[in-house]
Amino acid sequence: MTVIRRRLVPYFLLGPGLIWLILFFVVPMYFMGRLSLEEGSLTEGFRFTWQFSNFTDSLSEFDTQFVRSFWYAGIATVLALVIAYPLAYMIAFRAGRWKNALLLAVIAPFFTTYLIRTLAWQTILNDTGVIVDTFKTLGLLGDNGRLLDTPGSVIAGLTYNFLPFMVLPIYASLERIDESLIEAAKDLYASAREAFWKVTLPISAPGIVAGTLLTFIPAVGDYINADFLGSQNQAMIGNVIQSQYLVTNNYPSAAALSFVLMALILAAVVIYIRFAGSEALMGEEARRA
Amino acid sequence: MSRTWRFALAILALGAALVIAACGGDDGGLEEGASEEDVETAAAEPVGGEWTISNWPLYIDKKTVDEFDKEVGANTKYIEDINDNFEFFGKLRPQLQNGDSGGRSMFVVTDYMAKIMRDLGYLQNLDKSAIPNVEENLLPGLEAPDFDPEREYSVPWQSGFTGIIINTDLAPEIDSIEDLLDPKYKGKVTFLGDMYDDVSLVLKMQGADPADATEEEWNKAIDTIEEAADSGQIRDFTGNAYAGPLVKGDIVAAIGWSGDAIQLQASNPNVKWIRPAEGCNLWSDNMVIPVGAPNPGTAQAFMNYVYDPKNQAQIAEYVNYVTPVEGVKEVLAKKDPKLANNQLIFPDEQFTADCTPQAIPDPSFEDAVTERYQSVVTG
Amino acid sequence: MRGAWKWLREKAITIYGVLAIAYMLIPIAVIIVFSFNDPAGKFNFIWEGFTLEHWSDPFAITELTDAMVLSIELAALSTIVSTAIGTLMAIALVRHEFFGRRASNFLIVIPMATPEVVIGAALLSMFLLYGVSPGFNTLFIAHVMFSISFVVVVVRSRLIGFDRSLEEAAQDLGADAFTTFRTVTLPLLAPGIIAAALLAFALSIDDFVISNFNSGTTVTFPLYIFGASQRGIPVEVNVIATMLFAVTVAAMLFTIWQQRRAERMAEARPEQELEPTLALAPGQGRA
Repeated sequence: MTVIRRRLVPYFLLGPGLIWLILFFVVPMYFMGRLSLEEGSLTEGFRFTWQFSNFTDSLSEFDTQFVRSFWYAGIATVLALVIAYPLAYMIAFRAGRWKNALLLAVIAPFFTTYLIRTLAWQTILNDTGVIVDTFKTLGLLGDNGRLLDTPGSVIAGLTYNFLPFMVLPIYASLERIDESLIEAAKDLYASAREAFWKVTLPISAPGIVAGTLLTFIPAVGDYINADFLGSQNQAMIGNVIQSQYLVTNNYPSAAALSFVLMALILAAVVIYIRFAGSEALMGEEARRA
Repeated sequence: MSRTWRFALAILALGAALVIAACGGDDGGLEEGASEEDVETAAAEPVGGEWTISNWPLYIDKKTVDEFDKEVGANTKYIEDINDNFEFFGKLRPQLQNGDSGGRSMFVVTDYMAKIMRDLGYLQNLDKSAIPNVEENLLPGLEAPDFDPEREYSVPWQSGFTGIIINTDLAPEIDSIEDLLDPKYKGKVTFLGDMYDDVSLVLKMQGADPADATEEEWNKAIDTIEEAADSGQIRDFTGNAYAGPLVKGDIVAAIGWSGDAIQLQASNPNVKWIRPAEGCNLWSDNMVIPVGAPNPGTAQAFMNYVYDPKNQAQIAEYVNYVTPVEGVKEVLAKKDPKLANNQLIFPDEQFTADCTPQAIPDPSFEDAVTERYQSVVTG
Repeated sequence: MRGAWKWLREKAITIYGVLAIAYMLIPIAVIIVFSFNDPAGKFNFIWEGFTLEHWSDPFAITELTDAMVLSIELAALSTIVSTAIGTLMAIALVRHEFFGRRASNFLIVIPMATPEVVIGAALLSMFLLYGVSPGFNTLFIAHVMFSISFVVVVVRSRLIGFDRSLEEAAQDLGADAFTTFRTVTLPLLAPGIIAAALLAFALSIDDFVISNFNSGTTVTFPLYIFGASQRGIPVEVNVIATMLFAVTVAAMLFTIWQQRRAERMAEARPEQELEPTLALAPGQGRA
């Protein structure tokens, strides 16, 4: 191949995808930005007027939902981490022949569609179901208590639905650990616990960071769990955005809310990465890239 | 390449993207409501062939559609995808704005939504010559509603009452909206997501006249609802979804629609619709034909078909809402006298004494209260 | 007693892991069990009786079947396109040094980090402004868009671990770049591509939020379920969901079995190295 053609090859390979992403991701973001600065209503029409007040208005009007979303997503992420890490560890180190089968079990729930899984929790956490009954007998719930339509059920739903996103990256990073490293640590008189904290955990850090981000970010914007498992007092910012777009048709406000949400997530992620170290995030790929 | 070059090129690329974007269409501003001369009239011919109707769930029996198809040589696609007027409107609006009916020839929407759609120019006028049965058999009380005094674009499908559906096993004493706000039932009642229904009832409770309520009165009613929502008195705001929890006993009472109660009794015989002490709401769901509707002739033929008392009786038997067609009571009396005497289907004057049409806010503050109510519903 | 504690500590992780897996599978079990339910009314919440009635005619509800067929068509189409586009991108990103590489990397990662509600809403904003009616076409566009990123990530992780000596050997033997790509690279890349395609397919079938914003009145399977949840989900939904689940699990079990066979055969004949037919790519991303 001639030198020039060789240099163009990556652009041809990259081209279609890049164009698709620009046309259908970047450009819509621009339009949403434009919408967020408009004012008006469905009946009068929308006019572009640099209406920055959309941002401040929506932030002040829906601050409860914003806080609530970050709070719920945060707790769900922590819970997911607590459940996922030992699980991933077990699959990576203790599973032997069952490794693939267990991974399958982790992924399998995805093939029943998100909505049905959440609805199944509605059935399970039902007021007249086994779980609520058990809680009542154990005294964890009052006689009139319920599990559905509470923050607890929404958080439980979020944790459950995003668990695989936490398990898989952690598993991926654990699986790459050469067990001889751990053995070496033990040869150097480290206890099992020390070996874990000083060898395994740090090496799996990229997986933890990736998992937390992949869990937290979609969880913040989620609205299905709040819709099915919660009442109006558990509404998250996703519910508000959806309602503003599809029910009240107040597009400028909805667009402004979306941007504020993205900005807040970005801020949270940046702080988190500063804290966790950006190399942990990009990991090996950054070194090779 | 040096950093400055890279930066410059990135800006250029961004600029290119923005140029593409800027070439985009005008803002989605809507024209003002179509003036009378601009409104199309739906064609009466041809009749037959494929057509699609969107309706609420549980609103038709199992045989009518097939029988209609056979009689006029049509192929009806009947979809039950309407659960909430505004949700349906929100989904369809972009297409309606383009004069595209989303493939549907007819929808069935509640009074206030029919008015909204009409004002935005999304509906066609009906050709009265295609629907003689309607002229003949429409109940006198429904001939000239406020929102469509000459029935130019809407024909009632069914009418109904909004009141309270209670589980007589768990809360037999509830008989008013005020009871629903009693702390004794905290977390065990639901309201509708529909603003017009809920607020009309609360307005009545607060002594205001729904037909004529001021903005202040609307806000006061929404205040009460908001308080109850925030405190957890109201467990949830629902569309048709109050049915499940009511049947299960998760809630003891719901603001709900009369016909539903009868159908829910199959799942739980203790479920009963009652008329609140303050009064109830009277509404109709109306058949309307959108602009750009394919095959409007068959749609109008369908309207005509269901206004024949014989056919309507079959629907009324199953649906158990208030039928808008005269002469059905007599037909049913022969077949099923108990049904013919059911106040919920053939209400007499006394039963509907306290029932009024849903309150529609004055256009000057309609948007404001709609937004406010939505924010209460989404917490 | 100490012996028992020791045993417990050693096995603790395994026990914990098993419990966690059980937790993940509980809702699935509930879904399957309730597909055999026989509710009197429209609501499938309380167990009322066992019946095979809904299994005998799961496609009775035309709307449901139509939605399912539509979802499968949409998923198949968007999978093909996004996998093709994404694979090419991954190759470009891993194998070539070029201007704009870091920016492209960045652009690919951002959609994965954006909440679906924002992506769906933004796409809708654009379609509204251009006066495009939402429908199958807009759904297709949206689905390809959000799948590309995931395909790239999966294929890329496979490419990074790639042993280039095989390609070099082929070229030493006289194959040109294109032939090498076709006969060596692509087949060895196949497991990663297949994994990415499976991922894209799953994402598409499962998608609700973005589809809700951009479907207009077209009804996909998740959209049907959402609508039905308001008025009572028919038991047939559970049946079809169970069928979908069973088919995919069977497919994956099959590939695992194939892989085990390949491994066993490789053990028996150590001089021949056989590539597993499908490796569950331990890459990042939703699966």
